[in-house]
Order: sequence, then structure tokens, then C-alpha cells
Amino acid sequence: MVEAADVAVPAAAGRAGAMRSRSAGAVRQRMLAWSGLVPFFVFLIMFLLLPTWGVVQKGFSSTDGSGFSTESMSAAFTGERQALIGSLRLSIVSAVLGMVFGTLIAYAAATAKRPKWLRSVVAAFSGVAANMGGIILAFLFFTLLGRQGLGTKLINEGIGVDLYGTSWFDITGFWGWITVYQYFQIPLMVLVTLPAIDGLQASWREASANLGGTTWTYWRRVGLPVLAPSMLGGFLLLFANAFSAYATVYALNTQSTLLPVKISFLLQGDVGGRSALPYALSTWMIVVIAAAMGGYLLVRKRAERWQA
Amino acid sequence: MKSALTPRRRARLSRLGPNLVLIAAALFFVAPILSTARQALQKVPMPLLTWGTATDKWTLEGVRRIFDEENFWPTLQTSLQLALATVVVTLVLLVPTALFVHLRLPRARSLVEFLTVLPYVVPPVALAAGVAAFYRANARWFFNWSWSLVPFYVIMALPFTYRSIDAGMKAIDVRTLVDASRSLGAGWTRTFTRVLVPNLASSLVSAAFLTATVVLGEFTIAVTLAKRTFPTFSFEYFGRDPQGGVALALLTLLATTMLLLGLTVLTRPKAQRSRRSRRPHPPTGMSS
Repeated sequence: MVEAADVAVPAAAGRAGAMRSRSAGAVRQRMLAWSGLVPFFVFLIMFLLLPTWGVVQKGFSSTDGSGFSTESMSAAFTGERQALIGSLRLSIVSAVLGMVFGTLIAYAAATAKRPKWLRSVVAAFSGVAANMGGIILAFLFFTLLGRQGLGTKLINEGIGVDLYGTSWFDITGFWGWITVYQYFQIPLMVLVTLPAIDGLQASWREASANLGGTTWTYWRRVGLPVLAPSMLGGFLLLFANAFSAYATVYALNTQSTLLPVKISFLLQGDVGGRSALPYALSTWMIVVIAAAMGGYLLVRKRAERWQA
Repeated sequence: MKSALTPRRRARLSRLGPNLVLIAAALFFVAPILSTARQALQKVPMPLLTWGTATDKWTLEGVRRIFDEENFWPTLQTSLQLALATVVVTLVLLVPTALFVHLRLPRARSLVEFLTVLPYVVPPVALAAGVAAFYRANARWFFNWSWSLVPFYVIMALPFTYRSIDAGMKAIDVRTLVDASRSLGAGWTRTFTRVLVPNLASSLVSAAFLTATVVLGEFTIAVTLAKRTFPTFSFEYFGRDPQGGVALALLTLLATTMLLLGLTVLTRPKAQRSRRSRRPHPPTGMSS
């Protein structure tokens, strides 16, 4: 946990400096105050930081699991490139689609005047559906868009399109995963952008119109620039979300060549703990997600500027 | 021909796009639930399903079959026990921590908040790898212990649970309440049970429910570490008996919805939350 150390160390140094200038009694008081957080820190160290350290340490060992070496990390990168690229592709495509649809739905819900309950229903449902994931979601979509699914049948008989007529779509393949992932990606995006869309003032639009701007000018010069940080933040969040998701895609297709599925498969097979590969892959995963979440934290500051 | 449109008609026309978006979205989100209900409750195979047979053979037999499954009750019991234990550990760990931050150490707030969102950076499968890497090697007994998943579920739920408890404390001004209670002569225990718990009830309940839903749906860590829980049973059952599996999915969905509805009802009376806590919790999605 590189970040934890980065943040904790300067803070601790600052505290130490402040303490030196005070009396011994004050120091004791301070220590006493911090002691209340000891159980929390110990718990976090034991069940989050130590396991993470275990992963990173084994990731940076030679392929037989001993010593320090970048051998496993580069072997994982080259040897499992297919899984890495597959995961990146799934995460990027599902995040872009989720961002677009989520923003459109959030805008439609936020600007609707009737019915009055619409907005709160959309927000509440999004809160639930954003956490759907898991294996249940895979089952739901099997019944809808599987080979024998109700939706597949209705689309075929209603508009004459056979989803399985070409090799393009399969619920157990890439575009199937993308479709299923939208079920939690879109709601997550709605949750992220609703406050930003609420921040768009009606007066800005009027001002733009009074100055002779069209709807297009308004969106290009005012609306989208104000929404952009939230949308980018949402994209990064959705990306990390899809990148770490495992259960849904595993239930859709246990053979899928994606990073989390590969890691879990290797871990289940490697009972002796001799191979460094799953740990090196996990380390890569943590690095990618940490980068995305770091970016999210950076843009969130800007995104909150126009929100009340 | 633009001038032919009255302002009212133009306004209606401009809502056409957004309304279509909302209708399409409603379809997308409701359709899988409807198709699941049909497959779980109707014994007509898809090729034979036509408008003529649409009302035939609706039955609860698929649902009933689940309860005859040998592993249904034991795994459900395991998961419920894990959920309960996770809720207890979460509350025992986080309530004092959040209280401390609010009463004694406001300066630690941003550090603690940062630490509570760290689990987002470690995806469930990497956490499972960490458990294997660290605990399988150093503490085998713990790794094999049937409760060993509990602390990791506490960690997975931490971003939601801490936020919920913290928001509850922000909304009630804990410091004033505690000072008032203490100056009226109440001891710590009395202050805690008679003042803090009743006032924090809704945020504690929502933290507990969030934790329970995380645990009851968690699949990744359980399957990777070869633990038998309700989600791993559901997966295995679906592979064996698709119709029963779908009925089980429907049942799980219903139960989860009831839980969440219960949560909304239970927490509604104290709806005077602070503005901050009303903001959506952005990164809640991390699906296992």
C-alpha cells in the first residue's frame, strides 16, 4: 500500500514536530487520544495491509517464489497479456457506454417535471442496481438474452433480428458481458452525475440564449465543460468497477480470459502457494485500479466546484 | 414551419428525447427481472412459448424444489451467521472509532476517511490472493477456520459502513449531546445506551443492512478460497438445475429488495440528515 505510507508518513512527521514544542503532559494527552484509534489501525493492518503486502511481496519475487525480483511481474505482463488486454478492453468499453447512457438518463430524470416521484425513484433504484453485480445478475441475463432467452425470442419474432444469427453476440462473450455490466455501470454513473446536473443553473441557459446562443452553443460552451469533470470522474470509477468485477463474468462464462477470472483460477489450483503468477497478476490489478482511483480523487475536487 | 409550433407544443417536443431515454432505460432494467420471473414460475420451454401458451403452466414448483435441496439450508445458515458476525464486528470496531474521531480527534478525520476507502483499491480477488499469500503461509489454522471470512467482509464493506456511521454522527452533533448527557450526571455507559444509540439508530441500522447485503452476495473470495457459502451454493445449483437456479435467483432478488425496503422504512422517521450525507455515495459499485 504505497499510498497509505505516502500519506501517513508526512502526517506523522508533522505531528511529531508539533509535539516536541509542548509539555510532557500534553504529549501524554495526545498519545491517549490517538490510542482510541489503535483497534481500528490494528484491524486494518492485519486484514487489509498485511494481505496486500503479501500479494505485492510475492508478486515481486522470482518465479519460484523466493527473493526479490521483477521477474514474475514481467512474466505475468507478457505471459498473460491476453487476460490483461481483455480486462482493459471490457472495462474501457463498458465504462464509456455506462458514462454516456448514465449521463443521458440522469439528465432526463433531473429535468423531468412530471411525474414528481420520477427523480427520487431513479435515484433510489440506481442506489440498489449499482450494487447488483454478483452471480445473480448473470442468471437474470441468461433468462433474458441467453440462447433460449425471452428477450432473444421477442427480438427475433418482433423485429426479425436473430441475436445469435451471427457470431457477433453471445451472452457468454464480450458484447454479452458489456450488456450485462451496463446493469450496474449505468446506475453508478447516474449516482455520480445527478448532483452535477442539478448544479447546472437555468439562468446559465437563459444567459446563453440572451446572448444569441443556440442550444448547441449552450452545451458546447457551458453545459459540457461544467459536466466534464464529473463525467471523467464517473468514467474512472466505472472503469475501476468493471476492472475488479469477478462474479458476474465468471458466472456468465467460467472460461473467460479476464484478469480476475485468471487469478482466481490460478489460486484455486495452486494450493501449495508455490507459483508467483497469481500474485504478480493481482499486483498489476492493484496498480491499475490505484491509478484509476487516484485520477478519480483528483478530478472529483474540480467536479464539486459547481455543486451547491 | 417552426412558427407553427406553440410554445407548449415546442416544450412537449423537447421532452420527447428525454422521455424516450427514460422509457428505454425502464425497459432495460425491468426486462431481466420479468424474464427471470417467467422462467422461474412457468413450466413452458422457450421454443413452445407463444401468445397462445403464455398463460399456461404457471407454478411454484420450481421454487418449492429449492427447499428440498440438501445444501440450501446449511449454506443459507452459514451465510446468515457470517453476515451477523460481520455486522457485529463492524459495529464494535467502527462506532468507537468514529466516536473517537468526532469527540477527541477531529484532526484524524481525513486520515481515517482515506483509510476507509482503501478497500476500493484492492479488488476482492486480490484480497483473496492476499489471504492466500499471507494467512495460508503464516497462520494456517486461521485460514481454515470457518469464521475466517468475517474480517475480510468487514474490510470489503468498510467504505459503505464507515460513511453511513460517520454521516449519522455528523447529523446529530455528537459532542453537544455527549457533553449535555455527561453534565447531567450520566456515566459513559448510560450516555452510550440512552443518548447515542437511539440517536444514531437509523445510521447504525443502515450500516448493518449494507454489511448484510455485501456478505449475503459475496462470491469472489468465498469461491477462490473454497469456502461453502450461500452464493457458492447458488452458483453450483444453477449449473445443476437451471430452472431451480433461476427460481433461487428470483427468491434472492425478492429477499434483497425486502431487506432494502425494510431499511428505507426503518430509517425514514429520522430523515433529517445533513446535506453532506444526502449526496450519493459515489463509489458504491465495486461488485464482487
